[in-house]
Amino acid sequence: MIELKNVTKIYEINKNNKVTALNDVSLKFKEGELIVLKGASGSGKSTILSLLAALSKPTSGEVIVDGKRISKLPDNFASVYRRDNIGFIFQKYNLIPTLSVKENILIPLIPSNPLESEAQEKLAKAMERFNIAHKKDAIVRNLSGGEQQRVAIARAHINDPKIIIADEPTANLDEKLSNHFIQILKELKSSNKTIIVATHDPLFFDLDFVDREIQVHNGKIVL
Amino acid sequence: MILTPEVLAILILNIVFFFFGAIAFILSIKIFLKWDINSSDKLQYKLEKQSFLTATIIKYIFAIKLPLFLFFIFTLDKISSVLTGAMCAAGVVDATEFGIYLFMLKIINIYLFGFWLNLHYLDIKNENMPYTKLKFGFFIAAFFLFIAEIALEGMMFGAIDVDKMVSCCGTLYSSSATSYISNIFLIDTPILLALFYGNFLLLILFYFFKNRYLFAIANLFFIVISIISLIAFFGTYIYELPTHHCPFCFLQKDYYYVGYVIYVLLFVGTFYGLSIGLIDIPQKEKEKNYKISLFFNTLYIVLVTAYPIIYYIKNGVWL
Repeated sequence: MIELKNVTKIYEINKNNKVTALNDVSLKFKEGELIVLKGASGSGKSTILSLLAALSKPTSGEVIVDGKRISKLPDNFASVYRRDNIGFIFQKYNLIPTLSVKENILIPLIPSNPLESEAQEKLAKAMERFNIAHKKDAIVRNLSGGEQQRVAIARAHINDPKIIIADEPTANLDEKLSNHFIQILKELKSSNKTIIVATHDPLFFDLDFVDREIQVHNGKIVL
Repeated sequence: MILTPEVLAILILNIVFFFFGAIAFILSIKIFLKWDINSSDKLQYKLEKQSFLTATIIKYIFAIKLPLFLFFIFTLDKISSVLTGAMCAAGVVDATEFGIYLFMLKIINIYLFGFWLNLHYLDIKNENMPYTKLKFGFFIAAFFLFIAEIALEGMMFGAIDVDKMVSCCGTLYSSSATSYISNIFLIDTPILLALFYGNFLLLILFYFFKNRYLFAIANLFFIVISIISLIAFFGTYIYELPTHHCPFCFLQKDYYYVGYVIYVLLFVGTFYGLSIGLIDIPQKEKEKNYKISLFFNTLYIVLVTAYPIIYYIKNGVWL
């Protein structure tokens, strides 16, 4: 269970310039749900994701994941929480362009330092699942957008996180590749992952396997 | 006033420490008064961010201050060569009215600073930050002693007159001296050694009983009795001179800087022993502190005991 309780997030650009990204937002996500956060650019979707991932702290309010107040975690503990619980998929993939496909996918395993055999097994599974094994030694900057996105998904998945967060995942993909990404999400949902997607891509709207669509507007949830 | 490169380095560092320490002090008061880990309001989140910054400032000040104590001793030792009459740091300490107070305050402070660092280490190891309020409250109290040390240090270096003759350690630490130090020599050696080794046996006993208060108290006595026995008895074997009792000369090159090893072992061992009594920490950490304390205290005992034994083996007589 993920819960945002009366969360307000204010970005203070300088003393006279404050932006209220979220204003007293309360939300609950159940385990295994696939949620789409809809809203225009600047509505507060990405802020919700960054709070869920403990990448930032609220100005007030609480973020609770499985009973743990992650918004109160000191930075070193927040890193461990992210490592063990969160898989990220970004709009611009955020891959390391000079590394190969397999090296990029393996990166989330580095902090936990698993056995070589265990890491290779996880890598093989992730590459196979997301149909990128045939490119395992390719340098990622030479891949197409769709392939890079699959690498990013494999990377998000290799640690077997409970929660997958995707921020505008199809913004750089054409319609065909976007539909393919949606199919991957559907498959991920079947493995009981909690998936939260922030998007304004209409392809995500009214999908039968999406549990809830939440409209975010000017830092508030629109009911 | 004396201004050697070492003194200048200490004074410049003190200015930097004072500036950052004052910032940390102001923030610490705010954190100490308003901290409520259960709250999720705007102020608490702000305090959590500020506590990270403040603790980092304090951590670096104290972490530098600890080895700086050894540098301070080294500096006094170096200055002694330009003061008429001084043979080692003892002469410099005695050269002004502030020296002895500064020296005693520095010893108290290294324990306090070390305790704060230990508290901070335990605090950041726990995601609920259980010692945050305590560590900032502790810093607020320690800050006054920290400032007193900086002030006394400036006053001491400012008051040193290179043209004035000072006493040498042979005069200061002798049984005929008129100061309070001469009282040390009134204790019979067998009684002194019985107290010293008896105290160590008590440390071992309380280690096995795992009584943290008694272990800490025994450590407190161990500091006192160790320094007294070092001056009155063990030091003479380091110098191989029955009349030389200086607790500073063995910090010099002539004695292979063994004094630094002796004092570090004593301070580290007793520090961890005292920490156990001051704060109730998780069992695993407590057990670690017990072991570190006993390990360093044992090394101290072995080292100082080795000197008279080796002397006896070499010469067949006691001093």
